[in-house]
Formats: sequence, structure tokens, C-alpha cells
Amino acid sequence: MDLVTLAGQLNAGTILPETIVIVTLLVVLLADLIQGRQADRWTPYFAIVALGGAIATMIPLWTQPNTVSFFGSFISDHLSLFFRGLIALSALGTILMSIRYVEQTGSSLGEFMTILLTATVGGMFIAGAQELVFIFVALETLSIASYLLTGYTKRDSRSNEAALKYLLIGAASSAIFLYGSSLLYGLSGGHTQLPEIAQALSAESLGLVVALVFVIAGISFKISAVPFHQWTPDVYEGAPTPVVAFLSVGSKAAGFALAIRFLTLAFPSVTDQWQLIFTVLAILSMILGNVVALAQTSMKRMLAYSSIGQAGFVMIGFVVGTEAGYASMLFYLLVYLFMNLGAFTCVILFSLRTGTDQISEYAGLYQKDPLLTLGLSLCLLSLGGIPPLAGFFGKIYLFWAGWQAGAYGLVLLGLLTSVISIYYYIRVVKMMVVKEPQEMSPAVQNYPEVSWSSFGMRPLQVGLVMTVIATSLAGILANPLFNLVNTAVLDVPQVAHQPTVIEVAYQSLPPPGES
Amino acid sequence: MDLATLTQTITFFALAGAVIVAALGVVLLNNVVYSAFLLGGVFLSISGLYILMNADFVSAAQILIYVGAVNVLILFAIMLVNKREAYTPVPGRWLRQGGAAVVSLGVFALLTKMILQTPWQLSSLPPTTDSITTIGQHFFSNFLLPFELASVLLLMALIGAVVLARRELVLEPEPILGEEVVPPLELPERPREPVALSEK
Repeated sequence: MDLVTLAGQLNAGTILPETIVIVTLLVVLLADLIQGRQADRWTPYFAIVALGGAIATMIPLWTQPNTVSFFGSFISDHLSLFFRGLIALSALGTILMSIRYVEQTGSSLGEFMTILLTATVGGMFIAGAQELVFIFVALETLSIASYLLTGYTKRDSRSNEAALKYLLIGAASSAIFLYGSSLLYGLSGGHTQLPEIAQALSAESLGLVVALVFVIAGISFKISAVPFHQWTPDVYEGAPTPVVAFLSVGSKAAGFALAIRFLTLAFPSVTDQWQLIFTVLAILSMILGNVVALAQTSMKRMLAYSSIGQAGFVMIGFVVGTEAGYASMLFYLLVYLFMNLGAFTCVILFSLRTGTDQISEYAGLYQKDPLLTLGLSLCLLSLGGIPPLAGFFGKIYLFWAGWQAGAYGLVLLGLLTSVISIYYYIRVVKMMVVKEPQEMSPAVQNYPEVSWSSFGMRPLQVGLVMTVIATSLAGILANPLFNLVNTAVLDVPQVAHQPTVIEVAYQSLPPPGES
Repeated sequence: MDLATLTQTITFFALAGAVIVAALGVVLLNNVVYSAFLLGGVFLSISGLYILMNADFVSAAQILIYVGAVNVLILFAIMLVNKREAYTPVPGRWLRQGGAAVVSLGVFALLTKMILQTPWQLSSLPPTTDSITTIGQHFFSNFLLPFELASVLLLMALIGAVVLARRELVLEPEPILGEEVVPPLELPERPREPVALSEK
């Protein structure tokens, strides 16, 4: 049997995007090895082009959906393609903003990108994995790469603390997830593929519930839903800022992809239970994330808590379990990618120019750097959900889907916490725009001349402009995005197979918002 | 009960008892060297349990990797650090230990109840006699993708270990890259330091 027929039998074409990313990381690594720091002049741009190419190769895959490959380990349907594109896009944005940052911290860019691309590969594989062993290996690839990236600025004690905390909590949650998976393996009598497990599982038993809780614990760690969020603030404060951007967008998207696929495929018989658990997680995340963010003085820490709150909003779409719910969830994740990457680009620019990320130091920035002020204001207002911007449409869609499905309590709580979130986002905008020239902070008074010509600044500028444009326009010109999302959502097993059952199942849920 | 079953049962209980006692010792003993050696005992006993389940390859791998590599590495780390430091007892330590014990016993009770109550599906396949071949066949058929991804994972872990362990040349006199000279190529990993800034 020659290689071509073997590849054909395995359907190896479905993992072409991931293969491109793997080849890219090898090229970057070898170039860094051979050319040394001279390679930093071209490898980032090569990686960006290659990630763009990986996204482009998903277009032909989009037209031939539902290809199961590698004997059922991996599925390349619209849903997985959507999430893989999202994760690759977030890696692309992260590289744009990391070139200058990593160079300025004096660490090696080639190795940084190698580890980041490995994390991307792990995340992309998670999005399409439907087999327990593969899910675990892909999850660990993403996790271990994230721990390494978190501790990348290794002379900084905050970074060390963040990496250690992340490693310990992450290892514990991986172990819990693995225990849950092993219970599933045992309960199903030795199956590892999620659809087969769902078929082989007999009646509801205590073991199934324990497995469900353990699996959810592992997933919630990735999306930092509230009882499992303790690592988030410290990691966001201590990790290099581009890494934080990747963790808050790419890693979180991988977590949601895993949640959708794992829970809907393997646990259709206990849908009520996992929807109830996620309702509780959503309520806690929205309340805690948004309320604690009010008290933060550091921009990175504030964005950490706000990302917990945002994950809570996304979970509304997940728990209602309708087609519109899943579609709104995907749409919000896509919009969230642009606005959050944009916000982090601005935070990086500011900290590179002034060496701080205290919110009070942003005072009067409007006088010195209008572009940065405009970009950060638009992204923060969009995160808060102010009308013409993309975040507003994302939130409206989420709340509308929740309201239609009857989750009134959740939607009201979401509205209330969005109002809270608007307060702390607007606080930053007010700090930048409204202050009189004599109230300028010392950092802004010593603001360097705005120049985009030095090494690595041009990509930051490009990233900033692109994300701000996307944030401003994605809501108004949302039709292509809606089409994308609505096609992808048809692959969620719940939507495809049993829409009526879900509606009935949802009615029996206790009214959310009480617990 | 014939002799073979009896031997198996006795061996199982001996090994399981050894695992539990050694694991309790790892957690409860104050001297970290004892804990490390007992951890080796835990790994060895678990590999014995694998042999009881006909998993000879997994058992050998367990000894090679966990006892031979992981545990020896832990012992090396302890010896290299070589720091004698008496623990100052935290005031409310008993309360914390009591809380941890209650949580652990609760989880233990829950898992025991779950294991006893659940109708487990037993595999009807006959036990394989040649486990290495079976594992190899799985690696190159239905577990091909995780197997290959593990190589990427290991490559990245290798690079990461080098990055963490490498000694940095701290102050480079001139930045090689960049058209303009960036003045503060200070300690590399300090992009912004709010505390230091306020001291200036």
C-alpha cells in the first residue's frame, strides 16, 4: 500500500490546515536554529502568511463537510472548521501583536512562536476531536504550551508565579478530566469514540453523573467559568500580554468547542443535568466576573475579570440548547475575538510606550495618541455592548435567543451585569478622553513621539486597525457572518437530530436565576 | 476457589494495601525524602497491579518511566536543592488538615458508592496474550492521530524545557535588531513595572 492510497483511506486531507501550521512551526524553529536572531526579520511574517494559508485551505474543506477521518478520531464538519478558523485567526492576531513585545522583553521570538503555534495546533485539533484519547492529547498540547508561554518572561517573578499557579491548577484539572474520561470508557464497556459511547451507555446511573461532573470540571477550567476561575487573574497579570490575548480568545474558543462537542455527543441522555450545571456556572461567572472587575486598578486584571464575565454571557447561548442559542454563541465568540484582540493590542501598545498598565495612567491619553485612544475606546465600548458596535449585536442575539427559549432569569441577569460592565469599560474611556490637559498622568506626559517605523511596530498598527475596523463593522455588515454561523450550527448534534426533544427538556429545567 | 484465583486475590490485596499505605505515607510524612522514596513504592505497586491485569507492557513502561525517570528526577531535585528548613507550623494548620481530610473522605465515599452502584459493562473480548503487538497495531490504526500529535507535543515540551533552563546572557550591549536603538534593554523580562515606576 503506497502513501497516496493510505492518505486517501485515512482522509488525511481533512487535517491540511493543521499540517500547514505544524510545518510552519518546524520551519520557524529551524530558521531560528540556523540564522539565529537574524531570522526574526522574516519568520513572524512567514508564520502570519502560513496561518492565513491554513485558514484559506479551510474554504475548500467547507464545501465537503462531515468527513470523518483517521478512523473516527477527527471530524471535519462545519462546526469544527468554524472553531479551527477562529483559533487560527486568534493565533494570527497574537503573532501580530507579539513581535515587538517579545523583542522588547529581550526574549527569543522564534521559540515563542514555535510554542504558540503548537498551542494553536492543539486548539485546532480539540475543535474536531471526537475520540477520548485524542481529545486528551490535544488538550494537553494546548495546556502545556500555555503553561510555557505564561512563564516565558522567566526573570519576572510575577510571570513565574503565574506559570506555577497555572501549571498546578491545570494539572489537577487535567487529572480530573482524565478520570471522568476513564469512567466513560468503563461505563460504555471499552469505547473511546464519543458517538459510540453515547450509544453504549445504558440507563442513567450515578457513574454517568460523576463522569459528567468531572468532565465539566476539566472543561470549565479551560473557559475559566467561575468556581474554576482562580487561576485567571494571576495568570492574566503575570503572563506576557500577547499570551493573555491568546488565552482569552483562542484557548477559550477551544474550550467552548470541546464543551459543545463532548457534552452534546457523549451525554445526550443527561442533557437536563449538564444544562443545569452550566446555568449555575453562567450565573456565577456573570455576577462575579463583572462585579469584581469594577474594583480593579490594573488594565490586564480588569480584562481578566471581564473575560470571565464574557464567558458567562456566551454560556447563556450554550445552556438554552436551541439552534438560535448555539448560533448566537458562535457569533458572539467570533465578535469577541475581534474586540478582545483589539483591546489587547491597545494595551500592549500603551505598555510598550509607557511601561505601565495601570488604569489611572491612561488619563489624558487622547491629547497624545488619538489613534490608540480611538481603538481602545471602540473595543471597550464594544465589549460593553454599546449600540453601533459589533458587541452590541452579539449580545442582542444572545439575549434574544435566551429569551425565546424561555430563560428569562438568565437574560435579565445578563442585561443587569452588562450594565455593570458598561460602567467599568466607560471608566477607562472617560479616563482617556475627558481629562483636561493638566490632569494628565505622568506616563502620558512623558509619552514618546508616536512612530510606527521601528521594528515590529507596523504589525501592531496593522493588527490594531484591522481589529478596530472589524469591531466597528461586524455588527452592521453581519449577514455573511450569520450565514457562516448558521451553517456551522447545523452540525451540533442536538440541533441536527432532536430539536423537539430539547425544547421539551428545556421546559423541565427549574427557572434559572434562583440558585 | 482454585489455587490460581486464590494467589491472584492475595496478590491483589497485598499490592492494593501497599499502594494505599505508601500513598498515605507520601502525603502525611514530613520529610520530603521519605515521601519521594515512598512515591517510588507507589509506582512499583501499581505496576504490579498492571501485571495482574495482563498488561505486561504497561507495567514495564510504568517502571521505566515513573520509577526510572520521574521518581529519580524528583530525588535529584531534592538532593540538588539540599535545603534544610524546619517548617514553621501555620497557626490554623489542624483546621486545614481536618478540612482536607473531610473533603478527601467525602470524595472517597462518593466514588466508592458510585463504583459499587454502577452496572459496569464488562468487555467480552478475550484477554490478549501479546500486548505489545496489540498496542502497536492500535498506534498505527485508530490511535494514529493522537500518536503523531504526541510527537509534536514532545517537541514543544523539549523546546520549552530548553527555554526555561537556558542561562540568558543578561545584558546585551547593543540591540541587534531594530532600526532605532531601544534605550531600555534592561533586564529583558521587565516590560512594565508599576512599583518600580512609582519609585522613580
